[in-house]
Amino acid sequence: MASITAPMGGETRSIPAPSPRIADYLRWSIDHKIIGVQYIVTSLFFFVIGGALAMLIRWELLTPTLDLATNGSQYNSLFTLHGTVMIFLWVIPMMAGFGNYLVPLMLGAKDMAFPWLNAFAFWLIPPAGILLLLGWFIGPPEAGWTSYPPLSTLYSPDGQTLWAMALHLLGISSILGAINFIVTIRNMRPEGMGYWQMPLFVWAVLATAIIQVLATPFLTGALTLLILDRVAGTSFFDPSNGGDVLLWQNVFWFYSHPAVYIMILPGFGMVSEVLATHARKPIFGYRAIALSSMAIALVGFTVWAHHMFTALQPELRIPFMITSMIIAVPTGIKIFSWLGTLWGGKIHFTTAMLFALGFLSMFVIGGISGVMLASVPVDIHVHDTYFVVSHFHFVLFGGSVFLIYSGLYHWFPKITGRLLDERLGKLHFVLTYVSFFFTFFPQHIAGLEGMPRRIAVYDPMYTNINQLISFSAFVLGITTFILLYNLVHSLVAGERVGANPWRSLTLEWATTSPPPPYNFVGDPVPFEDPYGYGTEEATAYLDALDRRFPPPTKLPPTAAVPHPEPAGD
Amino acid sequence: MDAERSNTTNSSPVLWIIAAFALLILGGLLIAETAPLILPPEASAEAQQVDNLFKILLAIGGAIFLLVQGALVFSVIRFRARPGDKSDGVALHGNATLEFVWTAIPAVIVLILSIISFQVWVSTTSAKDNEMVVNVTGARFTWSFSYAVPDHENLKVNSSTLHTYVGQSLKMVMQSADVNHAFYIPAMRIKQDLLVGRTTEIRFTPTLAGDYPVFCAELCGSGHGSMRARIVVHPDEATYLSWFDDEVNVLLNPPADPVVRGQQILSSGQYPCAGCHTLTELGWTGVTGPNQNGLADRVVKTRVAATGLTPEEYLLHSLYHPSEYLVPGFGNLMPQFQANDPNAPSYMPVEDMEAIVAYLCTLEASGENVCNLDNLQSLASQLK
Repeated sequence: MASITAPMGGETRSIPAPSPRIADYLRWSIDHKIIGVQYIVTSLFFFVIGGALAMLIRWELLTPTLDLATNGSQYNSLFTLHGTVMIFLWVIPMMAGFGNYLVPLMLGAKDMAFPWLNAFAFWLIPPAGILLLLGWFIGPPEAGWTSYPPLSTLYSPDGQTLWAMALHLLGISSILGAINFIVTIRNMRPEGMGYWQMPLFVWAVLATAIIQVLATPFLTGALTLLILDRVAGTSFFDPSNGGDVLLWQNVFWFYSHPAVYIMILPGFGMVSEVLATHARKPIFGYRAIALSSMAIALVGFTVWAHHMFTALQPELRIPFMITSMIIAVPTGIKIFSWLGTLWGGKIHFTTAMLFALGFLSMFVIGGISGVMLASVPVDIHVHDTYFVVSHFHFVLFGGSVFLIYSGLYHWFPKITGRLLDERLGKLHFVLTYVSFFFTFFPQHIAGLEGMPRRIAVYDPMYTNINQLISFSAFVLGITTFILLYNLVHSLVAGERVGANPWRSLTLEWATTSPPPPYNFVGDPVPFEDPYGYGTEEATAYLDALDRRFPPPTKLPPTAAVPHPEPAGD
Repeated sequence: MDAERSNTTNSSPVLWIIAAFALLILGGLLIAETAPLILPPEASAEAQQVDNLFKILLAIGGAIFLLVQGALVFSVIRFRARPGDKSDGVALHGNATLEFVWTAIPAVIVLILSIISFQVWVSTTSAKDNEMVVNVTGARFTWSFSYAVPDHENLKVNSSTLHTYVGQSLKMVMQSADVNHAFYIPAMRIKQDLLVGRTTEIRFTPTLAGDYPVFCAELCGSGHGSMRARIVVHPDEATYLSWFDDEVNVLLNPPADPVVRGQQILSSGQYPCAGCHTLTELGWTGVTGPNQNGLADRVVKTRVAATGLTPEEYLLHSLYHPSEYLVPGFGNLMPQFQANDPNAPSYMPVEDMEAIVAYLCTLEASGENVCNLDNLQSLASQLK
């Protein structure tokens, strides 16, 4: 009960501190909130670049012959950069941005464990992005984001070397960020918050960070060998000199399959926060959701070779099929638990909630196609076809990107003190949901019909379905600008809110919006259960929070009646 | 789910659950029936097994899809917050039985799917009796199929189209000449990567006569999308043999005219020229390398004047040393053919080269040969 009367711990008076100016976001800062925003804005920038590349890809695919690109290499560069940018410069850093901003706040901490290292990890990203894009001018990489040798070693221009160097930097950034998260979560939880009282987003970031620390060194190692093969005359991947082309595939996927979970687990954490808050209901099966993140992190290390079912020695295919099937189980647990969370709730259709619901309905399709791909005989048919393209866009766009959108609508008020425009948000949701479905669902059909991926010139029998996909993709591309406009517009003209507009129980809402540089006055005491909605204690806690940080009054000056103190319901 | 359901209805929750699951299963089965509408023709024994497995996956996946979407739609309608309702939902934290059920049932489902998939896998990949072996070479950006000729150890029938017939089991033995490729026939539901430095295999048994596309499914460079071939499944052995015997006849009685021989070599697909070059006469449509239509004209008009070589000298040298004769605007992508090393990945015997050059010399508006064939012969013999 102590938490009800004193949500903010001992001190109640705030210390005046200057709020950050725009210039503070453009230079070195060790404030995790500024770094978080730096990650978010940088990755949004790269999202626009990656999206523009996707538009060019879909433009080329309007016809079965080359038209936009003058040759196949140009087209190959488009999807190579699209994949690389979207994975390494959009989704992963965006998730890192949310993690940076939210984890210390959710733990009631003043900052990350290693603030300087945190800033350093971020500042590796802009040079890496520049390096990658500069490759365009010296012969762009054209071996796909997977860059299998010998195509990527003996048959690719110099941009491929820059590609490898850029990913090297991003890999280091990712490892440093992850170490920071693990130490922060291990050591900086507040009094009264054991592991089993942590918000599920923090659990998800912990699971993600464990994967990053264990898997990313394999990527950087493989990239080192690739760079040596390209510039130092070694032949790790050149069979004519004793190398092996499958070595790269094994090591690359040993990182890159876990990387799939690096991209989706933080989103799983975000959706748990959003669903519980906007359905006003405790999360259903808290421990199952937390542990399934850990199970995914663990089993995720045993499934990599399902990306190589058509290359792998035949005897090894079945074991990897079994592990790939098993990993569907913890993911299923999460989906059912989230449905259980909605059951019996009071669902508020905010934009954040709409994207979370949209995620549930689209991600399940990606899960089902994932099980189909795990089944070796079916995979043999659809491997490296548009079925796979469809599958990973359902989990990466229908999964990660929907959740990033959901998270932006949910936490924007915390970061800026203003709401995103909900009407624009709903328009953004409806258009995104529909155009997403018609962009990616037909790709299943193209793949089942046998259309390989990564081709600019295709059999004319696939023309109609590609035109449908392209036109939907153009609409999907336009929806991005609704979000970007909303972000900029609401930053200056959005409705002002108080500390806790969604009446959420996690600690990041127990301070002003935006929080002061030191985050909290005194040491905040977390509510005993981060998802304890539906109890009198929770209502009383939230009311006390509203009294401690009163929401700005919205009454026009003519009706200047005294604003009544919000009383407990 | 029993407890919640009974809140929403007065009749027996068990009946409702049974009815819901019956609907889900029915829906899954209906969804599975769409599979034949989407999949390519089922042209092999393997395709039938894979499609049956896919239908099982689609039925189960369809039922799960309907379950999740159904629960979602039901929840957002039934549990939406009414306007002005600021209260919270029920303080329900979980249900151990339910959580056990939704862990155990998917675990059992994926276990069963693993077992069925394993059975299909064993059955579709096991060696068959009387397999016909076809050697496959993938080279940027063409496929080449090579058949042994009975009673003629040194002869190979080369073809850019894969020929076989209904009921004949095939074993494809595959090698790559440059980068990784993947041999993919959608109608047969088979795919296997070609890995540099290794030999890989795949088996299938065609069951439906027809003409189906063959694709490359592993990114191999600029012409990846156009790395396509055809597979012709003849209705019976006799029609297949009439094709095969014609090919053998040509090999046993090579035409004396090097021009005709050169044309035959090029159209057999033995060398990967079609992957990059366009030559309308032979049906080539590649765009990665220079267009070969009217080649002889251009060589005489521009290259001979620029280099001081005779047309036959220029063509012979540039075929063996393509990097020294790059046409402006094109990269150094052509294989370096080896004249004297039969084990080299890109071996091209001098006799073949001579015939190919003789043929290329006729690619001129009037169809006349721009080269001195005697001189070509003596140049070629010097190379040996």
